[in-house]
Amino acid sequence: MSSAAAKGISWDPYNPELSRNPYPVYKRLREELPLYYNEEHDFFAISRYADVEATLRDRDLFSSAHGDILEFIKAKSVMPDSVFIHQDPPKHTAYRSLMQRIITPKRMYAVEQDIRALCARSLDPLVGGDRFDFIANLGAEVPMRAVSMLLGIPEKDQTAIRESVDARMRTEAGKPIDLANQQAIQQEALAGFEEYISWREKNPSDDMMSELLQADFKDPEGVTRKLTRDEISNIVNVVAGAGNETTNRLIGWMGKTLAEHPDQRRDVVKNPALIPATIEELLRFEPPGPFVAREVMRDIELYGQKIPKGAVMMMLLAACNRDESRFANGDSFNIHREARPHMTFGQGIHVCIGAPLARLEGRVVAEEVLKRFPEWEVDYENAVMSSTSSVRGWDSLPVWVGSKPKNATISVPKPAAPAAAPAAPVAEATLEGTWNVVVKGPTGPQPAVLVLERSGDKITGAQTGQGSTSQIADFKRDGAKIYWANHITKPMKMKVEFTGELNGNVISGKAKAGFMGSYPFTATKA
Amino acid sequence: MAKILYIEHNGTEHLVDAEVGKSVMQNAVENLVPGIVGDCGGACSCATCHGYVDAAWEGKVEPKNETEEVMLEGAMRVECGSRLTCQIMMKPELDGIVVRLPVSQF
Repeated sequence: MSSAAAKGISWDPYNPELSRNPYPVYKRLREELPLYYNEEHDFFAISRYADVEATLRDRDLFSSAHGDILEFIKAKSVMPDSVFIHQDPPKHTAYRSLMQRIITPKRMYAVEQDIRALCARSLDPLVGGDRFDFIANLGAEVPMRAVSMLLGIPEKDQTAIRESVDARMRTEAGKPIDLANQQAIQQEALAGFEEYISWREKNPSDDMMSELLQADFKDPEGVTRKLTRDEISNIVNVVAGAGNETTNRLIGWMGKTLAEHPDQRRDVVKNPALIPATIEELLRFEPPGPFVAREVMRDIELYGQKIPKGAVMMMLLAACNRDESRFANGDSFNIHREARPHMTFGQGIHVCIGAPLARLEGRVVAEEVLKRFPEWEVDYENAVMSSTSSVRGWDSLPVWVGSKPKNATISVPKPAAPAAAPAAPVAEATLEGTWNVVVKGPTGPQPAVLVLERSGDKITGAQTGQGSTSQIADFKRDGAKIYWANHITKPMKMKVEFTGELNGNVISGKAKAGFMGSYPFTATKA
Repeated sequence: MAKILYIEHNGTEHLVDAEVGKSVMQNAVENLVPGIVGDCGGACSCATCHGYVDAAWEGKVEPKNETEEVMLEGAMRVECGSRLTCQIMMKPELDGIVVRLPVSQF
């Protein structure tokens, strides 16, 4: 396996410098090392379209039983059966078949007018101004609310949520949006879902949630029954987690990519019938989820290399989407290219169940933006990019739509500073106060807020996440080492132990979530 | 070799030399017929290979299984003759089958 080193090719999913523009490395991998092995993190990676396609279709050899994210597979993560993204057949089949009956394209298209109205409400007040933010004004809200609509949360409740969200979402022009706020918004939405399940149980209608509560399904043991509340809660979390951040990223890439291809953008403004093809090309060109992983279930050989049972195979969707053997000039964005399926939604039994909704949201957002703002330029000085184990895209993407101030400059996009490793020593934060905690959970980042107080020489506090608050226990500090435990009740009762290291105003380490395994977390002083 | 005639919604025809043993979806994708996407690659999990089988061929294609019925119930633009083409395996008896395509798969 020295070939990667010999060729000087390294692909490290945790390298933020590389995630700014991973495409030159992807090209070399496709052409020179179609099977890549990363020694440091111990995983294999494939990057050619045909290889990724064959792998995703072979669900017996490439398992999802420990999830589809590198760290989860390594931790042998196990999830409740109803977290079906994290299962193989027959468990996966039981829940996926049920969900295919419930999250249908018909149901997704039924919310098109509501999504359009939401976009209009967000964008109309911005007309005549100089700038807006594709994330703060659209991406952070539209996908989350589209999921609420699909679930059937009544408009009056949505409005209540929206108003409280709005109050905290207002940002000063030119400043990046507040990430902690975004996390609080998502958390509030999830808390809203929990309350809504209880309400909908007593007030059934014809929406997705009522159907989840009423549907009979054959469970993995073959028993026909209704879903339990925990199962519904897990399913809603999977759906909301999978549908929020990915589509948010799609909207950001739309803003960035169309800004950089003004000729094509003008073609679309002239002929809005090109929008569906534009969305497909965006999905191909900048997939929000650039890679997924599987566990290899037996010893195999590929490109003359042995791959042992239990290894992690990463499928570089973003690389295979530009495979020249399938997409001519794959590295160029071209909305007029010959229509051909891409790999952004995956393939096989785990193919994205929300793809119709993502495409619908992409199309409606593009239509509503382009008819109000035919021209824009990205304010890269204030744009923030980030990359996690599951998604890559913009946390903030402000654009100039009016006259750009003369002193404004355009520069290369900056990745978000890797929170865990500040380059320069930062003055150490006091422990007391509010910390924004993000655990890289199974369905995407799980936000929580930790509030610490000092009483005498002891630190106590409370942690809020998934809509519930609990007192933390056993807070300890030894030099830079920090430990605390949190007994959570949602999505299930368990003790989560946080062990990390304090560096400046960031604590980073591992959160051990009972039998579910350990996941990386970071806590940033608010 | 058997032939499949795909007709796009705008009337454009694509006559394809199909491989027997592969699905009508797979044959379309491999021959770059626009209008069939097949996101899930044939797992009957995405409904983006929707097509309308010409009435003359309805009796000759395999009937729908329960999964396909469920997927079609939730799909858009379903008409009589609607099928998910990943669930129709090409066989010599289907030589010449005509499949019309919807205006869009999503």
